[in-house]
Amino acid sequence: MALLEIRDLEKRFDGRSGHDAHWVIRGLSFTVKEGEFLTLIGPSGAGKTTLLNLIAQIDGASGGQVRFQSEIAPIGDPKALRPGLSCRIGYVTQEDNLLPWRTALENVLFPLEVQGRLDAEGRARADMLMRAAGLAGFEHHYPHELSGGMRKRAALIRTLVYDPPVILMDEPFGALDAQTRTQLQEDLLRLWNLGRKTILFVTHDIAEAIALGDRALVLSRAPTTIAGEHAITLPRPRDIRGIMTHPDFAALYQRIRAQLQ
Amino acid sequence: MTTQDSALDLAAAPLARPYRVALGRLGLALMLLIGWKVGADVAGPLYVADPLKVLWRIIADTPSGVLPRHVYVTLRLSVLGFAVGCFFGVALPFLLRRVPRFSDAIEPYIMASVGIPKYALVPLFILWFGIDDAPKLLLVGLLVFYPVFIAVFAGIRNVDRRLIDMARVVGASETRIAREVIWNSLMPFFFAALKIALPRAVSAAIIGEFLVGNEGLGFLIENSRQNFDTVGVFTGIVVATALVLLINAIVVAIDRRLNAWRPADREMEP
Repeated sequence: MALLEIRDLEKRFDGRSGHDAHWVIRGLSFTVKEGEFLTLIGPSGAGKTTLLNLIAQIDGASGGQVRFQSEIAPIGDPKALRPGLSCRIGYVTQEDNLLPWRTALENVLFPLEVQGRLDAEGRARADMLMRAAGLAGFEHHYPHELSGGMRKRAALIRTLVYDPPVILMDEPFGALDAQTRTQLQEDLLRLWNLGRKTILFVTHDIAEAIALGDRALVLSRAPTTIAGEHAITLPRPRDIRGIMTHPDFAALYQRIRAQLQ
Repeated sequence: MTTQDSALDLAAAPLARPYRVALGRLGLALMLLIGWKVGADVAGPLYVADPLKVLWRIIADTPSGVLPRHVYVTLRLSVLGFAVGCFFGVALPFLLRRVPRFSDAIEPYIMASVGIPKYALVPLFILWFGIDDAPKLLLVGLLVFYPVFIAVFAGIRNVDRRLIDMARVVGASETRIAREVIWNSLMPFFFAALKIALPRAVSAAIIGEFLVGNEGLGFLIENSRQNFDTVGVFTGIVVATALVLLINAIVVAIDRRLNAWRPADREMEP
């Protein structure tokens, strides 16, 4: 059985007058295996963030089913939603959403603190991750004193520190320059190799989707469905900087780009 | 010119400005004092008290305990009234957050009640609660309540939803979210309200003392006027102003400390 299964998923946003309701997602189905790095590629406005919000149970679906292990997300009643499913689904959002009144380290420790797991072991883990992500020396800086790349790293580590089995990532490196981006992609793959988690990584960048994923799903414009599926057989560990020259890369890139249009 | 010279020039420029500003402020204060003195000489001692006489009165009445007693009474009333108003001003929006429909229903009534002139209610308070501390406390409390309530209410509505969602996903309870995310988010709003509410608390206490009671700065001012003691009136005003300025300075200092995370209060780093 797949770890995560999305079946005939539907999401409708009601317009102000009630008549101009529009479908963001309609008839979307796919599954995710345990330990898989799945990338989802879609054009802007393809309902990618909405899809992740439904999986994280920040928002409720209008129809269809989201199943995680044996649990099915409730439909209709927003109060019955369980955001993060008891810390088993981590979510690295598009904005870093760091708490501005907490320093970098305090932000990273926040999940452990609210889960009542802030012990010596947790602190050591946070320290290790801060160092691994190049944030050593910036522990006591407030978010506004960090660069965009550092904030993204801090947000990523905040999720890694409590070790959820599934991590959703919503264009986490979208707003960064090419160098920082490549660096962060390498960091992510290295951290992922430490303990292979199940990752759903949303992006609009085809090269990024190929470089990171085991499998790539192409999403259509809203209402979103699956336009194509591609197994990415490039060997791991991968060299992000050199991956574009791999013989399989160009063909895969062309096939995905054709489907995106 | 060597690079060292230019570095010195750059360092000297930002130092000189605050120094000049401080000097300018001191000069302005001196001019105001001289203006006051001239005004006193022109208008006569019945209308404007001589600043030196006010100073001597403050010095004379402080060791005897007369003036400190007035200050203590006014301060106590302001602080108690402030505590009551502040408590309800903070607690009510947090309770209303839990019942959004009721909150929507009650909001226009609360906003409309802002318009009631609170000082006009004092005779009613005296009628209901007698001439002890109660009517004065109620007046101070009400005047503090409104700015605090409105700021906290607006602050809660303005909290970034994405921060709340993030906190939920990582497993924070609703109580924890209220304490961590909402409380910290509205801190700047809360302190903006305090800067309005604290001087108001002292003003309201003084006006309350004009009307009832036989102690406090308000009583000192009003009683001196009735006895044609203009120096006493001015002494009360000067001490009350000093009190408000002192309280404001304390609030600003606390704000700086607690809200040091705000970008505006710190020097941006390159």
